[in-house]
Amino acid sequence: MTDPQVERLAALIVEYSLELQEGQIVRIDGLDVAEPLGLALYRSALEAGAHPYTNLGVTGLVELLLEHGSKEQREFISPVQRQEVETIDALVTIWAEANTRSLSRVEPSRHAGYIAAHRQLSNRRWERIFEGAMRWCGTLFPTHAHAQEAEMSLEEYERFVFGACHVHEDDPAAHWRNVSSSLRARAEEFGSVRELRIVGPDTDLRLGVEGRSWLAADGRYNMPDGEVFTSPLETATEGEIRYTFPAVYHGREVEDIRLRFSEGRVVAAEAASGDAYLQSLLDMDAGARVLGEVAFGLNYEIDRFTRNILFDEKIGGTMHLALGSGFPQTGAQNTSGLHWDMICDLREEGEVYADGELVWKAGRFLAEPAAEVVESGVRG
Amino acid sequence: MVDPRVGRLASVLVDYSTGVQPGDLVALSVALPAAPLAVELYRRVLEAGAHPQVRTGVEEEVGILLREGSDGQLDWVNPARVEDLERADVHIAVEADVNTRAHTGADPARQARRARAREPLLKRFLERASAGELRWCVTLFPTHASAQDAEMSLTDYQDFVYRAGLLDRDDPTAAWAELGERLRGLAGWLGQKREVRIVAEGTDLTLGVEGRIWIPCAGHENFPDGELFTAPIETRVEGTIRFTYPATFHGRRVTGVELTFDEGEVVGARAASGEEFLQEMIAMDEGARRLGEFSFGCNDSVQEFTGHTLFDEKIGGTVHLALGAAYPESGGTNRSALHWDLVCDLRSGSEVYVDGELAYRDGRFLDGVL
Repeated sequence: MTDPQVERLAALIVEYSLELQEGQIVRIDGLDVAEPLGLALYRSALEAGAHPYTNLGVTGLVELLLEHGSKEQREFISPVQRQEVETIDALVTIWAEANTRSLSRVEPSRHAGYIAAHRQLSNRRWERIFEGAMRWCGTLFPTHAHAQEAEMSLEEYERFVFGACHVHEDDPAAHWRNVSSSLRARAEEFGSVRELRIVGPDTDLRLGVEGRSWLAADGRYNMPDGEVFTSPLETATEGEIRYTFPAVYHGREVEDIRLRFSEGRVVAAEAASGDAYLQSLLDMDAGARVLGEVAFGLNYEIDRFTRNILFDEKIGGTMHLALGSGFPQTGAQNTSGLHWDMICDLREEGEVYADGELVWKAGRFLAEPAAEVVESGVRG
Repeated sequence: MVDPRVGRLASVLVDYSTGVQPGDLVALSVALPAAPLAVELYRRVLEAGAHPQVRTGVEEEVGILLREGSDGQLDWVNPARVEDLERADVHIAVEADVNTRAHTGADPARQARRARAREPLLKRFLERASAGELRWCVTLFPTHASAQDAEMSLTDYQDFVYRAGLLDRDDPTAAWAELGERLRGLAGWLGQKREVRIVAEGTDLTLGVEGRIWIPCAGHENFPDGELFTAPIETRVEGTIRFTYPATFHGRRVTGVELTFDEGEVVGARAASGEEFLQEMIAMDEGARRLGEFSFGCNDSVQEFTGHTLFDEKIGGTVHLALGAAYPESGGTNRSALHWDLVCDLRSGSEVYVDGELAYRDGRFLDGVL
């Protein structure tokens, strides 16, 4: 018997996140350990009249490829993969690992090369998403490995994950539609801001955001979700930031990162641990030293750090800034093989100023977005 | 610790069966319970300098589709799998069941509908294989479910499976090459003949084989292997055959099958159990009522019936006939969405005549037949 929460999550993704239509082709990606959610999504998509198929990988293969494959093998993209990106109407990525650290000992440059090569596929995927030609949603299936990262039992972790997705609501899709309205109103309000200043412990950072569009992350691309974000101006970031939470990239953890920016670029970077990995990622390409995202985490069901970016970046009361590629739909120019979200906890001492005015303190906006904006958000 | 025989199996499949070359695109279609073999295959394909592409199958997915899918969904063929078929240089398929009877309750008409929709895939697969553009191999990874069908413990079943693959030999590849040599000799001899007649209890069946090609199978396309097959002439099968073993197709078992042929066509079909399913399958399409294959099982390391065609059809001393699609390389022209192998044990009280002369008795070709 499938956990009913898993079925509810699948139904929410099919109905709300992807709005799957009859006849659409939907691929369900994940690893073998994601099988229960893969099957639940398969069934929900079938009920919606779509043509689903699962694409579950076998745990351990990427590790083998990175360790034993030649450069040509590691960076090979098959013509079938290229074709699939063009033909699917929707994609669900289920993040679920049997071991979240199985890549920890891979030589960083081999890993970076692999990611950069596969970026061709994800870039094309994003192009199609922005053209409105396909939909995508990333979600997580709770496993012992993720629970272990979060320092919880599997049962506690399941409660945490499904709670963050609000699948217990009578009508989870209605809940997310409400969240969407409120986030869109906030994003619209931020659209007129020219400069943000983030102040916290060892942090005083100014970001230019003039002319950039703010977007609501409202459960369509990620489940769970809950943030508003944009891509800052590429040459305007000035100052320094210290990330209180460890930053995790492809299963590797870097602790206590401090970055100094000048004219938009990282000019100094250090970490208490994982410094070599940090430096190698910053040197991945020209865009890796430039911010691609600034965002407010606004899902207050997510109240703790669990070493998983899907949740951590949405922790209510945090901000995150990502190094690397920006989001073109916000007006971003920066491109990179990297997109690395780093989270800054502002729940105790943080302050954010928008064009000099204090708008956020201790993890909360000081005011709700104006009512008429909420209305326009609903229509949008 | 992984059973070391899994690694040996992977090596034989990659190096011997499909002869993977550097740069090959190698599709690995693996049922999820066979993950340990998938890992070993992936490793060997990388070592061979090729590009492994894993496609996993989830058994339950098919069950959900068969129970809950609309007709349009049953008819849908995934374009990505078509692309796989066109692009792959090598295709290795690994079956591994968690429950071999999961589809027993499915509507046979819906199963047949799904099979019909996928027939072009099968046809294209066979075309590319016979044109030499695609090397392929099918194998099975032992699970509790298959062991249960075989009425064995998993440990005993694993021994059975790996013994059948000659993986207990010092040099499995050499052992397969040796069997291949023997089968090639027989194939050359049978290739000159016109007619095969099988006589056993409840069976007297004559098949025309003139001009058809006999194909020796020694571990390239099936693993394990050990058979010698051809496609009988589509209009020249006469008489009756009683299959001694239960026949399993898509997880459904039919026992006591007896078929009567006239001018190549099934004109009488009976079964002790599962007759409705049998009738449904042979009514699938025009070609489902004719034979696509006749074969001698020649693997003496497979002696016991285990309820799985891959092994049963190889039992040394059996023959099998397949209703439905022929393999083009044998010269057969029959087309169908069906290819259903039915196995008949000839190890006691049976004779096979080739062009009227006794050539095979009680499961063995007579000495001096060549």
